Amino acid sequence: MPRKHHMDFRFKIIRILISLLISGIFISGCISFEMVKRIEGSPVTPPGDTIQVGKTTLETALLLLGAPDQLAEMEGKDLLIYEQALYRDNRISVGIPLGDITGPNIDLSAYGTLVRYNTLALFFSPDGILRDIVFENGSDHPYLKTLFPEEDKK
Amino acid sequence: MKQLHCAVIVLIIISLCSGCALFGKNKEFQPFDVSALNNIASGKSTATDITALFGAPTEVVKMSNGNAYIYKRSISKGTGIWLVLISFGNFERQHDQIVFFFNDRDILTHYGKSLNAEKASYGFPF
Repeated sequence: MPRKHHMDFRFKIIRILISLLISGIFISGCISFEMVKRIEGSPVTPPGDTIQVGKTTLETALLLLGAPDQLAEMEGKDLLIYEQALYRDNRISVGIPLGDITGPNIDLSAYGTLVRYNTLALFFSPDGILRDIVFENGSDHPYLKTLFPEEDKK
Repeated sequence: MKQLHCAVIVLIIISLCSGCALFGKNKEFQPFDVSALNNIASGKSTATDITALFGAPTEVVKMSNGNAYIYKRSISKGTGIWLVLISFGNFERQHDQIVFFFNDRDILTHYGKSLNAEKASYGFPF
């Protein structure tokens, strides 16, 4: 008798798995979830004490941080930008193509795309002395809280 | 019974993996030889010396008292997996970059290098 129960149980499991499999095959074109991550550039760390306004030279900055990702001249100052871009994209879509049978199609989709930047900007005067630093750690902002901040809920 | 079990498992694995997997690598290649940096000296080398060693720059930027030549190459690596309902993608791009700063007489004043292109890696998005 216990053996029969055991067999029944196994058949039940197999039936569930086959049903899941068939359902999966049938709805594979209708439901999809996509998760994409993209990173460009090396990590940018906070400047710390090694880089100081009024003291650090362009030569020292290049030695410590390497080649900048972007360069520009701004109002007589040289701007060096070190940047890492972190891109995240999550999307889910549900669509049932019933257009030919019933009329309108059922189509629902939601997605959230967020690009965060970790940026260090250094401003040098023409004599090569650091005059200003700006650092922004964009990756500190969590994905969901950044996409849906508290103000949006009110 | 055991055969049926195995067949179901194999079928599930096949259908779950029925999507595809992708591994891709892309090089944006501006060739330069990093060892050539040994042949240059700040205060002596000229823009002509640099272009003779490294070729045409990827970009030239006007600075407050001269120009900067940027040499850049990058490597991108991508991983993608498409399963029945779920797909994952991960892409990473890293650069090798050398920036030369010249004064208004085209004499090299400083240079900086970042060699990270080989650090680009394959991975998952979590």
